[in-house]
Amino acid sequence: MAMRELVSGGAACAVPGSSSSSNPLGALANSLIGSSSKTKERLEEIPTSTSTSSGRQFDEQYQPPQLPGSEFDRPFLQPGTQGSDFIGAFRSADHGGLADAWDEIQQHSHVAPPLPHPRDAEFQRIYDRGPAQPTLEGPPQRVLSNFLHSFVESSRGGLPFHPTPLPMLGLSERDKQCIRDRSSIMARHFFADKSEDFISAQVNALLSSLDIDSDVRAKGPQPAPVRELEAYWNESQGIMQPNSHATDGWVAEFGQQRHGDPNAWVHSFEQQHGSNGWASEFEQEQSQLASVDHMRGVNVANLAAMEQTRMLANTLAQNGDPKFQNSKFLQFVSKMSRGELIIDDNQVKPTSGDWATEYQQQYNAGPSWADEFTSHGPDRWVNEFASEREQQRSVDDKWIDEFSNLRVNDWAEEFENQVGEGALGDNSADNWANAYDEFMNEQIATKQHSDASKGIYVFSDMNPYVGHPNPLKEGQDLFRKGLLSEAVLALEAEVLKNPENSEGWRLLGIAHAENDDDQQAIAAMMRAQEADSTNLEVLLALGVSHTNELEQAAALKYLFGWLRHHPKYGTLAPPELSDSLYYADIARLFNEAAQLSPDDADVHVVLGVLYNLSREYDKAIESFQTALKLKPHDYSLWNKLGATQANSVQSADAILAYQHALDLKPNYVRAWANMGISYANQGMYEDSIRYYVRALAMNPKADNAWQYLRISLSCASRDDMLEACDSRNLDVLQKEFPL
Amino acid sequence: MPVFKTPFNGYSVKFSPFYESRVAVATAQNFGILGNGRLHVLDISPTPNSPPVAELAAYDTADGVYDVTWSESHDSLLVAAIADGSVKLYDLALPPTSNPIRSLQEHTREVQSTDYNPVRRDSFITSSWDDTIKLWTLDRPTSVRTFKEHAYCVYSAVWNPRHADVFASASGDCTVRIWDVREPGSTMIIPAHEFEVLSCDWNKYDDCRLATASVDKSIKVWDVRNYRIPVTVLNGHGYAVRKVKFSPHRQSLLISCSYDMMVCLWDYMVEDALVGRYDHHTEFAVGVDMSVLVEGLLASTGWDELVYVWQHGTDPRAP
Repeated sequence: MAMRELVSGGAACAVPGSSSSSNPLGALANSLIGSSSKTKERLEEIPTSTSTSSGRQFDEQYQPPQLPGSEFDRPFLQPGTQGSDFIGAFRSADHGGLADAWDEIQQHSHVAPPLPHPRDAEFQRIYDRGPAQPTLEGPPQRVLSNFLHSFVESSRGGLPFHPTPLPMLGLSERDKQCIRDRSSIMARHFFADKSEDFISAQVNALLSSLDIDSDVRAKGPQPAPVRELEAYWNESQGIMQPNSHATDGWVAEFGQQRHGDPNAWVHSFEQQHGSNGWASEFEQEQSQLASVDHMRGVNVANLAAMEQTRMLANTLAQNGDPKFQNSKFLQFVSKMSRGELIIDDNQVKPTSGDWATEYQQQYNAGPSWADEFTSHGPDRWVNEFASEREQQRSVDDKWIDEFSNLRVNDWAEEFENQVGEGALGDNSADNWANAYDEFMNEQIATKQHSDASKGIYVFSDMNPYVGHPNPLKEGQDLFRKGLLSEAVLALEAEVLKNPENSEGWRLLGIAHAENDDDQQAIAAMMRAQEADSTNLEVLLALGVSHTNELEQAAALKYLFGWLRHHPKYGTLAPPELSDSLYYADIARLFNEAAQLSPDDADVHVVLGVLYNLSREYDKAIESFQTALKLKPHDYSLWNKLGATQANSVQSADAILAYQHALDLKPNYVRAWANMGISYANQGMYEDSIRYYVRALAMNPKADNAWQYLRISLSCASRDDMLEACDSRNLDVLQKEFPL
Repeated sequence: MPVFKTPFNGYSVKFSPFYESRVAVATAQNFGILGNGRLHVLDISPTPNSPPVAELAAYDTADGVYDVTWSESHDSLLVAAIADGSVKLYDLALPPTSNPIRSLQEHTREVQSTDYNPVRRDSFITSSWDDTIKLWTLDRPTSVRTFKEHAYCVYSAVWNPRHADVFASASGDCTVRIWDVREPGSTMIIPAHEFEVLSCDWNKYDDCRLATASVDKSIKVWDVRNYRIPVTVLNGHGYAVRKVKFSPHRQSLLISCSYDMMVCLWDYMVEDALVGRYDHHTEFAVGVDMSVLVEGLLASTGWDELVYVWQHGTDPRAP
């Protein structure tokens, strides 16, 4: 961990949060598990949940070169270091549960690592934070662990598990977030059958039982009274002023501890230290806190939590599987629902006497540690620091001297020379810039190349319509009759004759699109757009074709162009947007347009296309259906609806939509092919083959359809027909698969 | 066959690709909700005289270990997916004090899965609750690439066994995505289930077939050439299916484990697909694996803190 984090008390330092209340539970765990020695109890932190005796064996074997659960590059707790002795002596007397919590507090000081440099060690002590402490090593972890595992123990050993009021766990923010996030994500896996409400009720029940707000981050880390106490404590401990950080840390924890079970603590404190001057002052403070505690009231949330958890318990009880009835995890949840595990901060009975004595000892020991530090720690550190500074300065001076004496003039001259010759520029910066430019040019070139290869229109070799007096009219007629392949030839003849005829290119593009050839369609449409850059139908067609090819950026460009050149919606589209087109912006603009004139089918069509781009198929279907209400005879619209339904895995609906399109335009190759895809998607491969063959009979150049046919043939185990497919023998296929 | 008791709740178990008797086990305290983690490496003794399971190594972590994968290039190297968002590398050949040899901190949420590339053998992927998948190589301190398209936790990401650059990911956004690391985005999106998809795995013999497991209690087998409908749907688990894995030995065999505490063996090509059912776990069964080196050798772990290794057809609990 970075030193800065140690100093500033970063998240990982804020460990043992409010440790306090581990005691009653620890005591409970002790009585159940049968561990009496504190050292052993610490190691119990590795919850073996084996039988009591084997659990102890495990402890004895386990020599802690590392703390359980710690993960450092090297072990830091060396047995026999000063810190260990210190804490060892403290531990030697047996005592009640609170001592445990005290352990936790003190852990910060006793784990100071044997760092190589004395200054570092000194530094470490100043801040008294110890090295990186795993966040989960603290009491909350232990309490929660014991909470779960003592329960487990009791259910295994057949001991009666008395409903034990659980103290506030004082989990750190991070812990709470972990529990909140993980339990809610996991709950969605366990209770999949249940409604979202049920699941969140479960999670809330668990969270409020553990006293976790649904949003802890909104809450301050500490209630105000504790901070007051902290200030007071600092004041009263003038002696410790130099290492205020340590004091802060300790006090904060101490405050939190008190916060956990103030009444019990006060009680014992009064008994033990009533006459003490410090204690009486402290008592005053304590009574303030107690009143605050009253105001906070009882844990109302527990009632609601219990109710909610009861629902869960009932559900679980319905599962007849005896294994489920025995699941410890689920029993844990259901116990919580019966109120047997309430997390509350009343009714805590610590073995106070022992603790108080222990505390006093500890308290007495405190100053000696502080003395040690104040008497000799900082001085040494300061001295060392000063001497280091001294050295540093001499080095600085030397450098400055050297520089001022020798270098400046020479260097300046040299620089002038170089600039004069242009040496600097040529050698470094320009070279780099050139290389970068080259790279960029290459990039652009490759991109242009790929775009170009895509956008080149490929003409048919043999075209009987070349030389035709009016190929455009012929093409339009053929297109209307649905003879798409013938229409393509006629229109090619037209654009060869009049390359600037936008309408010719556009119709050619549409013919290709309906003939299920998007590459050629895009190429033709791009030529149409070159001839007339504001033709709305061209722009829309390009948007759709690029969407089919899953080219979002290009699709957005043309759809935005459509909006910009539209007489009605042009004002909606700010021209500066065209520099950086984001899907969300375009979708927003078209939604505005739809609101502007809800009866314009075209806007709904574009919206449908856009939602296809973002794969929001439900919305896309809705848009196309709206458009179809306005334009029920648009066969291409029925095809779009069908394709969208197919994409959202509604293949049966899709077939109905395609059927509509084919009723309106029987020679619609694309709809035939799409129909085949929908049948294949439903596993009806024989049917899909018939539709593919039909589509191919109308346009043998539809390469995609040949590929689909091949897949369907192999899926239908008609390997005997693969050869006919590969040789594109339509006669054989049509005979075999009549529609 | 041997049983091993872990102190924490089991999360994942993986056979070593180098030693037939070696498994790695990922565990997490308190059901992975809060607490420490531990990575175990176990050696299973084939002879009856010696103790059945010897713990070769154990590494503690500050947060739960959700998954582990063996390196395909070094027999002693392990990659662990940690709940605190880190990815840690361990080398069994080095003393415990030198481990982990690397801690890669980039994921911002729990790392749920990790998989070592079996073809290139120089890289691995991790998937996380931060909705991303990351690609790592051993020689780089930072990830090579981050794949961010899923809209919710990515529970599992697995390499294709044939194509070095292709992997699949399963997410809580109910989709499975197929990726090619040379492509900028996912190459295929399969809306695989109506509920969260918890796991996926590639068939080892047909590089186009993929199995997915979901909270909807089902396992589906897909053909990526025609991903609109599943090749088959396997029903039989009573709760969410946590993990699914294809057999390395038989084309149509797969194994799964579930929150219904069962480990199931399936043959997805036959009518009665459920060919084996093991109820040895007493809590959620969340980790399962099939040995590459010994046909029919299975391993499972669960929240009952037990690791079982057994031969298919025998009782896992039999001594």
